[in-house]
Amino acid sequence: MKQLQMTSPSSFSQITTQKIIQMNDVWTSYDSKSYALKGINISIDRGTNYAIVGQSGSGKSTLLKLMNGMMTPSKGTIKVDYQTPNVNNKKFKLMMHKIGYIPQSLGLIKNLTVLENTLIGSLPRLGKFQSMFKIFPEEEIQEAKKILSQVGLGGKEERKAYMLSGGEKRRVAIARAFMQKPTILLADEIVSELDHHTAREIMNLIADAQKRLNLTAIMVHHDMQLALEYANRVAVIKEGEKILEIGVEGDKIVDFQTGDFTTQEIMEMYSDESKK
Amino acid sequence: MNQRNNLVIGIIIALVVAASYNVDANPIDFFEGLPNLAIVAEEMTQVDAELFGTAFLSMFETIQMAFIGTIVGVAISLPLSMFAARNLNSKFVYAPVRAILAAVRTFPSILWAILFVIMVGLGPFAGVLAIIMYTVGFVAKLQYETIETIDADPMDAVSSIGVSKWQLIRYVVIPESAPHLLSQMLYMFDYNVRQTSILGLVGAGGIGFYIINYIKFFEYGKAAVFMIVVLVTVLIIDWISLKIRDKYIVKSQHGMEVTAK
Ligand SMILES: Nc1ncnc2c1ncn2[C@@H]1O[C@H](COP(=O)(O)OP(=O)(O)OP(=O)(O)O)[C@@H](O)[C@H]1O
Ligand SMILES: [Mg+2]
Repeated sequence: MKQLQMTSPSSFSQITTQKIIQMNDVWTSYDSKSYALKGINISIDRGTNYAIVGQSGSGKSTLLKLMNGMMTPSKGTIKVDYQTPNVNNKKFKLMMHKIGYIPQSLGLIKNLTVLENTLIGSLPRLGKFQSMFKIFPEEEIQEAKKILSQVGLGGKEERKAYMLSGGEKRRVAIARAFMQKPTILLADEIVSELDHHTAREIMNLIADAQKRLNLTAIMVHHDMQLALEYANRVAVIKEGEKILEIGVEGDKIVDFQTGDFTTQEIMEMYSDESKK
Repeated sequence: MNQRNNLVIGIIIALVVAASYNVDANPIDFFEGLPNLAIVAEEMTQVDAELFGTAFLSMFETIQMAFIGTIVGVAISLPLSMFAARNLNSKFVYAPVRAILAAVRTFPSILWAILFVIMVGLGPFAGVLAIIMYTVGFVAKLQYETIETIDADPMDAVSSIGVSKWQLIRYVVIPESAPHLLSQMLYMFDYNVRQTSILGLVGAGGIGFYIINYIKFFEYGKAAVFMIVVLVTVLIIDWISLKIRDKYIVKSQHGMEVTAK
């Protein structure tokens, strides 16, 4: 199931030098009374499948919202591709076009069709006039249809979103994110409520896109097993703190309490172990 | 029922009695006046059938006035409501727009009609303008309240893509509130037909002009013809809008949904 995304030494060095997400002592709160996240340090390399697991209310969704600027930290710094996530930051706003975000609630427009919901992912590429009158270029429509058939929704393009099953809605949200041609994918428990078969189908889809597009996926999971199976790194959040970060390579699990290790170090350790 | 509720009800009854005294509302006058109504009712039975043609024509004029007023009014109120919605704008935008809308709403349509009769003269055009103003004030409020209750999840999900505000309005706000907007429009048309029927009282066109004139000259039988036409028309419009609602606004597990494009 797992693939190492680095095969040649050259791509190896390229990846290890690219920290796509860095969080430094990040604290955040919804109200002044308590912190939802307390002193989070996270460092994610480009191309990683990074899993976040933890109990309900531990702060997983909050962590994702910080990464795409929907929330700002009350303390600490966050850099996404060397930019500070903030909707008022012009440079970051351009980056948002390439950050696919699938919220826990999916956020589909229920009165629009499956195809229209998917095409929303291409809105940043569409001109003012065209977007007012819903005039999408033919190649975007073909692209959307291709993605929809990849996620198993071929033939359902004209269905209204509210007429879909829970699993189908998830696939539309995934298609919308893919339509953005993302470099980063933030997915909040998109497979948690699905049966094992469908969950794996969707995870394989994302793993496949990762291989093709060198996508960095940060995924919140409820199921540790699924996280271990697909992720390169797994962070465990408890009551707003990162209590554990695990590097996973192949079948080997290496346990890193602080999570301050780079992929290079993990790789070195992995190759050390395989030599034995 | 506890002690406090009884006290509240007692106070309300006392207030109603006191207010009735102040405005000379005497129930005895009402019952003594009933025979007068009987006279009117009897005269109304002498329906002047020849007038039905005129009645239908003036009713048709009334419907057209209400139609233009509703469509133009809604077309103006839609963009205004986008500026008045708190979840789409900063305080500096929504506060003044809301203040203007509140000012527009303080005038009942009949006052707008008087104003426009002075401005553009007697006739249906003054009535159309009055209906537009009333519709703008009223529908814009309904619309911005609808927009403010839109689910935050799709708004967040789509704005996290970094789309422009106009794209957000086009692809989230309008589709999410469309069923409500359609239903508000139907309601407003319905209401405007009734309103336009009385605008004739101040000379702003429509069927009300005939009704008030025949009543002035005590020709209740003739007035009755026009009133019957209004009644039947309002019932028919009620029925049609019910059919439209059933067809295009279906209930699903998420509440109101629109199935039209
Ligand atoms: N909009 C909000 N306003 C106030 N508090 C919030 C809000 N959203 C989340 N919280 C609080 O912040 C904490 C972290 O919430 P978060 O949604 O990040 O948890 P989670 O790990 O994603 O949980 P779940 O697995 O149930 O989705 C919780 O204590 C929650 O009550
Ligand atoms: Mg969550």
